[in-house]
Amino acid sequence: MKTNLLNRITNSELVNKHINKAIKDDTFAAKTLVTLNVAKDVFAYGARFATTMQNKEIPEEQRPFVASMDLMSGVVTAAMQIGVGYSLANPKIQNKIWDKFFQNCKFDNIVAAKKGFSQILALIGSTILAERILVPLIATPAAEKFEKKFFHHNTKTEQQRSLSQITFADFEKDIANGIDA
Amino acid sequence: MPKVNQYIATSVEKFSQKGGEKVSNYVNAAGKAIIAPLVIMHNPFTKENEDNRKWAAVKQPVEAVITIAMQLASLALLYKGVDSLIKKGKINFKYVENATKDISKIPKKILEACNNDYDKAITMYREQYNEIFKDRVGAVVSSIAYLPVLALSNKVYPKIAQKLVNKNENKSSK
Repeated sequence: MKTNLLNRITNSELVNKHINKAIKDDTFAAKTLVTLNVAKDVFAYGARFATTMQNKEIPEEQRPFVASMDLMSGVVTAAMQIGVGYSLANPKIQNKIWDKFFQNCKFDNIVAAKKGFSQILALIGSTILAERILVPLIATPAAEKFEKKFFHHNTKTEQQRSLSQITFADFEKDIANGIDA
Repeated sequence: MPKVNQYIATSVEKFSQKGGEKVSNYVNAAGKAIIAPLVIMHNPFTKENEDNRKWAAVKQPVEAVITIAMQLASLALLYKGVDSLIKKGKINFKYVENATKDISKIPKKILEACNNDYDKAITMYREQYNEIFKDRVGAVVSSIAYLPVLALSNKVYPKIAQKLVNKNENKSSK
C-alpha cells in the first residue's frame, strides 16, 4: 500500500516535471517557495480568525480587534507577499545582487548556494519586508475599520434589538432613573 | 567588506543545505517574533488603543516560538522517515532513473557544476530531487502542524498577554 503510493508519486509525470523545473530554474523554485508560504499563511490566518472569535480567554473587549487583525493580515499578506516575493525572485534582480555581493566569494557548491540565495532573498522580501512590515502597516488601520464597521455594527444591532424588546415597565423605570431611552 | 561578504556567502550556502521548507520556517518565525510586534506597536497609521495593540503584538512572538518548535519537531520526524525510505531504495524518481541511462537527461547546470563528472552529477541530481520532494511534503506537514500550534497558542498567549499588559499597567500607575 505504502510502496504503491510511493511508486505512483515517484512515477507521476506531474511530480517529476515540477521537481525537474525547480532544479533547472532557480526563479521557479523561489516563486514556488513564496507561493507555498502564502498558501500556508492563508490557511493559518483563516484558522486564527475563526478561533480567535471563539477564544473566551481573550477579553471580550480585545477580541474583535485581535480577530480583525488576523483576518486583515491574511488578506493583505497574500497580495503583498506574492508581489514582493515574485519581484525579488526575478533573475535580473537576483543576478545584480549576487554579482554585487558574492562575485569574488568562494563556494563549495555554487549551484546550491545560488539556488539557496534566490530562495532566501525572495523569502526575506515576502516574509519580512512584505508580511511583517508592510502588511501590519496596512492591516492595522484596515483591522481598525473592519472592527468598527462589522463588530461595532453588530453590537449596535444587538442593542437595538434588545431595546425593541424592552417592556413599558422597563421604559418607565428608565425614565424614573433619568435614562434617556 | 569582502570578509563580511564571504561570511554572508558561507552562511547562505550553509543555510541553503537545510532545504527550502526549513529556511522558510526560520525566516517566518524570525519576522513574526521580532519585526511584527514592533510594527504593530509603533504603527503611525492607526489610532487603535494601546491595550488592544499590546494584545495583538504579544500574540506574534508567542505563536512564533510555538510554531517553530512544532514545525521543526514534525519536520525532523518526517525527514527521518523519508531519509530511511531513500536509504532502503524505495524512493526512485522516474526522471532520475532515466538520467542514469542517458547522460543528456541531466540538467546542464548540474553537469557544469560537477565538471561533467557523470557519477558526481547523477548523485547531485538525485540528491536535489530528494531534497525538493522532502520540501514539498514538509510544506504539507507544516500546514497540518499549525492546527495544534494554534490550539496551544490560543491557550498560552492570553495568559502571557494578561501578565505583560497588567505588569505594564502597574508600572505606569506607579
